[in-house]
Amino acid sequence: MVALESLRIALQSLWANPLRSFLTLIGIAVGIAAVLHVVGLGTVTQRSINERLESMGTNVLLIRPGYSHMRGVRTAESVDTLTADDARQLLAESQVISVVVPTYSGQGNAEFQGVNWQTRITGTTPEHLEVNNDALSVGRFFTDREVAERSRVAVLGDTVRAELFGGRDPVGADIRINSQRFAVIGTLEAKGESYMNPDDQIFVPLTTAQQRLFGMDSLSSILAVMRDSADFEEALFDIETILRRRHRLRADRENDFQVRRQDFFLAAIQDTNREIARFVLVIAGVSLLVGGLGIANVMLVSITERTREIGIRRALGANRLHILVQFLTEAMVLGIAGGLLGVAGGASFNRLQIGTDAPLSWDWVGYSFAICAGIGVLAGAYPATRAAWANVLDALRYE
Amino acid sequence: MLVRLEAVTRTFQMGSAPVRALRDIDLEIEHNEYVAITGPSGSGKSTLMNILGCLDRPTSGRFLLDGRDVSLLPDRQLSRVRNELVGFVFQTFNLLPRATALRNVETPLVYAGIPAGRRRALAREALDRVGLSDRAQHRPNEMSGGQRQRVAIARALVNRPKLVLADEPTGNLDSATGREIMEILDGLHAEGNTILMVTHERYIAEHARREIRLHDGAIRSA
Repeated sequence: MVALESLRIALQSLWANPLRSFLTLIGIAVGIAAVLHVVGLGTVTQRSINERLESMGTNVLLIRPGYSHMRGVRTAESVDTLTADDARQLLAESQVISVVVPTYSGQGNAEFQGVNWQTRITGTTPEHLEVNNDALSVGRFFTDREVAERSRVAVLGDTVRAELFGGRDPVGADIRINSQRFAVIGTLEAKGESYMNPDDQIFVPLTTAQQRLFGMDSLSSILAVMRDSADFEEALFDIETILRRRHRLRADRENDFQVRRQDFFLAAIQDTNREIARFVLVIAGVSLLVGGLGIANVMLVSITERTREIGIRRALGANRLHILVQFLTEAMVLGIAGGLLGVAGGASFNRLQIGTDAPLSWDWVGYSFAICAGIGVLAGAYPATRAAWANVLDALRYE
Repeated sequence: MLVRLEAVTRTFQMGSAPVRALRDIDLEIEHNEYVAITGPSGSGKSTLMNILGCLDRPTSGRFLLDGRDVSLLPDRQLSRVRNELVGFVFQTFNLLPRATALRNVETPLVYAGIPAGRRRALAREALDRVGLSDRAQHRPNEMSGGQRQRVAIARALVNRPKLVLADEPTGNLDSATGREIMEILDGLHAEGNTILMVTHERYIAEHARREIRLHDGAIRSA
């Protein structure tokens, strides 16, 4: 009951100085919002990484064109070193590589009945579907024959489908990609949000992209699938040997391509994310510390202003514990109000920055309130102790 | 015997020199007495009052309140004694500025641990006793000095204390309002309460049945 009364008194006195109370709890609010944002961001990134890991598997190597270096000096920007023949040769020579997917990507404009959409055009081979774990929602993917014939057929990612066709069935329709007519033969199921939205692209036969759309012989990348992820070392050796020979690289020249394992690549993203999270959490910690000091400061001011009230209450029968609890409650209410504001801020910030499905971790909301209450108690401890141990007579006489 | 002081002294340290505010006070007050403590300023009236109200402790000597030695009680129990046995009326009213009259009167009952419903009823009753039922929801700054002092009296009465201590209860009031306050105190005495007040005004002291004159921290005549 005294606790309830303390809460009432605390709310009343905080309400008596609304601006002061509000300014005090901003520090706490910023800290908590930052914590919730980091946690939300971490969850989303982790989710997208997990999804990609699941869809890519751990036995896929990504080969991309790299830079030529000679004794540490970049001699030429050679982004066109990889070719479809490279890919074919890898499959033919290496015992441990079971599938290759050569890909060429570029930006293009898709148009259907006056609606334009800028998107990524990816030229690839039929194996793309299986290696990337993509699924058709309607229609079919293109065939080896269509690749050989440089056919003007297109398979739409879900975003492109929605932008150009809305609710209509796109299969059989003709669209224009960079002014050339293409027949839509299928669409892919949505893979969901990730970095570089995988749904926002159009797939066409590799040769069509290279020769009809972009006029290039080179590749943007080759996906090489190993028979077993344990063959990693051997696959790497094969790729280097074969590509260096084919590119006629002298022994003193570095590779003009890079090989990455998809799961390693994702692990690196994860590490970067963790670093960012740590950094933001440090800022959040500083903010919470400053917020706590703000509460301590305001409580000291408040207690000085209310010295007489303390004296009166003591004269009427309040003991030290009553006074201590009263002011600790007040500090705690400030902390928790800051937490409330922080949770609201964090939630809307997440929604704005990450998207509508941004998760607000209820665990962390719970921790936040515990942290805020804790900060309040810590910050209020000294002021409240001073109030409780004040000399009653001096307090009563205080002007 | 309600109050018994035995050789009570109170010494303050002012800089390096000790000041003896009370010297060897022996005093007894019975239930339902009406006592005025008078004397020039600096004679130790307030110090004596503070000790009787358990706001201060004697430097030496014994103080028995309602048969119990309270001179050495720890804070928690002393607070309880203040809460249950003593009611204060101050010269400057000492109401809680942000609380309504009703809340002010309820405050001692909060610390006595009385449930809210009963608290409210008792507080209304006490306000009724001083004729302020219609001001229950007013804050101190919405009331006159006389009304504030009546709220303070209601607050002093609400826990049915054994001893009502009034420190210059009319000191901040005009004489007409002062008379009203004294009528209330007289009435409380008539109802069986023990009242002890500090005053330096002749006509106020005359309301009491007994006068204790202090001079230089000692009792002149009892």
